Amino acid sequence: MESLYNVFKRRGYTRRDFLKSALLIASTIGMGPSFLPQVVKALESKPKPQVLWLSFQSCLGCTQSILNSTSIVPADVLSEYISLEYHETLMFSHRSKEAMDLQKGRYVLVLEGSLPVDGGFYCTGGGRSAEEILKSLMDGAGLILALGSCASWGGIAHAEPNPTKAVAVDEILKHKRVVKLPGCPPVGDVIVSVIASFVVTGKPPEVDGEGRPRVFYGQTIHDRCYRRPFYDAGKFVGSFEGEDAQRGYCLYRMGCKGPITRNACATVRWNGGLSFPIQSGHPCFGCSEADFWDRGFIYRPLSVVEEGFSWKEALAGALIGTALGYGTAYINKKLGGG
Amino acid sequence: MSDVAFYDFVREPFLKLALWVFFLGIAYRFFRVLFLGIPHDYAKPKGNPYYMAVKKIVIKPTMGWTFREIFARRAINFIGGFMFHIGFIGLTFLVPAHALLWREITGLPIPMMPNIVSDMLAYSAFGSLLVLTVHRALNPVLKLLTGKDEYFANLLIGLILFTGLLATKWAGSGYIWILSIHIFLADLLIIYIPFSRLSHFVYYFLSVGFMGWNAGKRGVSF
Ligand code: SF4
Ligand code: SF4
Repeated sequence: MESLYNVFKRRGYTRRDFLKSALLIASTIGMGPSFLPQVVKALESKPKPQVLWLSFQSCLGCTQSILNSTSIVPADVLSEYISLEYHETLMFSHRSKEAMDLQKGRYVLVLEGSLPVDGGFYCTGGGRSAEEILKSLMDGAGLILALGSCASWGGIAHAEPNPTKAVAVDEILKHKRVVKLPGCPPVGDVIVSVIASFVVTGKPPEVDGEGRPRVFYGQTIHDRCYRRPFYDAGKFVGSFEGEDAQRGYCLYRMGCKGPITRNACATVRWNGGLSFPIQSGHPCFGCSEADFWDRGFIYRPLSVVEEGFSWKEALAGALIGTALGYGTAYINKKLGGG
Repeated sequence: MSDVAFYDFVREPFLKLALWVFFLGIAYRFFRVLFLGIPHDYAKPKGNPYYMAVKKIVIKPTMGWTFREIFARRAINFIGGFMFHIGFIGLTFLVPAHALLWREITGLPIPMMPNIVSDMLAYSAFGSLLVLTVHRALNPVLKLLTGKDEYFANLLIGLILFTGLLATKWAGSGYIWILSIHIFLADLLIIYIPFSRLSHFVYYFLSVGFMGWNAGKRGVSF
């Protein structure tokens, strides 16, 4: 089985290109330049990862995201290196069995989408329910990745009223170690880095209490946002058309969920490190956090009551209070003989 | 429960509940007292009660502002109380996240202040609250006037100021937890106000005006 270096060579890339990718992998997985020789050695000698990719209740945005990852390894190298032994959407289901037998104990099981637990008929493949397919493949996996917010938290299918009773994959794989890469979709380069780090170290990455790799999900967007000085200075965009928007002020008032969202967008960025939503002038809407679909209208600031509390509610409360106050005073007066 | 789930809870259902309790409770207490009224006084006023009521409301905040009164006799009360109130009211309304909430509730274009100003206000309010609380516990007269209610309110406000400062300055990776705890405590405070002496801010004008009105009725000066 070929290593990453072999794929680079066969594709006509130079050793310098390979070393550049190795350095990027080392730094994105938080290993630092001093570990570079180890990373290079591993990527030269270890065979490419075998990936079984199962799509459940998903939009395939996560698949699209990894296909668009170009900053860590060139796209043509990536499509060969992340060896898709089996992709539920792209291949016949009997291949999963072959692939599993081939790589037992070592393959990377990538799970995209949520699982319906209501009857098992909302999501099926080859006549089997999603849950059955998942359970048949889970034991031989060296690394189980819950890719995207659907697999990690339930995602859009889990949003109110959740007609299929969709759940995150770790609710089915209760006793398994599942590494979550939430996001809608997750940053493609993050997916590549996590799989590459598994090849290098042979272990899943270090995760936080929710199962997310610390190196990518350890900080909030707000922690690393380049617009933070404007937030601190109290300068906010009040409308997308205004001058404040052109000046690049903070988007908190426009509904930015950066302060409560852990993701790598502000550091790794999208499209080959080109940009990320806030840099393009749009607030972060918190896609990598659980239940973000249910967090109300996305353009409402974080600090207001989600479903609204205006002067009308305040007045209604005050009127009820006044009526109760009047009633109590009346009773007090009557009882007191006043 | 994850930090974000807790955040969503304190921000939506709990904050909403707190605001309902606040507006209903404050109006209830205020109007209950107002509707109870006072016994009819048949004596002819000796002065001008309405003028004196307005005068008292206007000049009361500056009445004790003599050098001797402030610095020689009640320095801690005056200076500490002033710093605390300015800080607490400023932070409550003008920190951007808070201002956006009040803007939505009142419909008014409430200004937003930069972090550097809110930091200064927070340090001064927190410091003066500590000093005022210790003073309250040690001063023989204040000690007698103070109940559990005051200590609980001071503790709650102190924790809100502290967690607010912690969230903006030193929370690190615990930011979402600290911020959520800050909002949770603020929700508790909003609920607690109508049940406690903290509701004095709504009675302030009523009681000060009433004192002036009484003085006008009797024809005496303040
Ligand atoms: S997380 Fe987003 S992009 Fe991924 S499958 Fe779900 S809806 Fe699609
Ligand atoms: S744009 Fe969003 S993430 Fe950036 S500083 Fe403002 S609130 Fe924080």
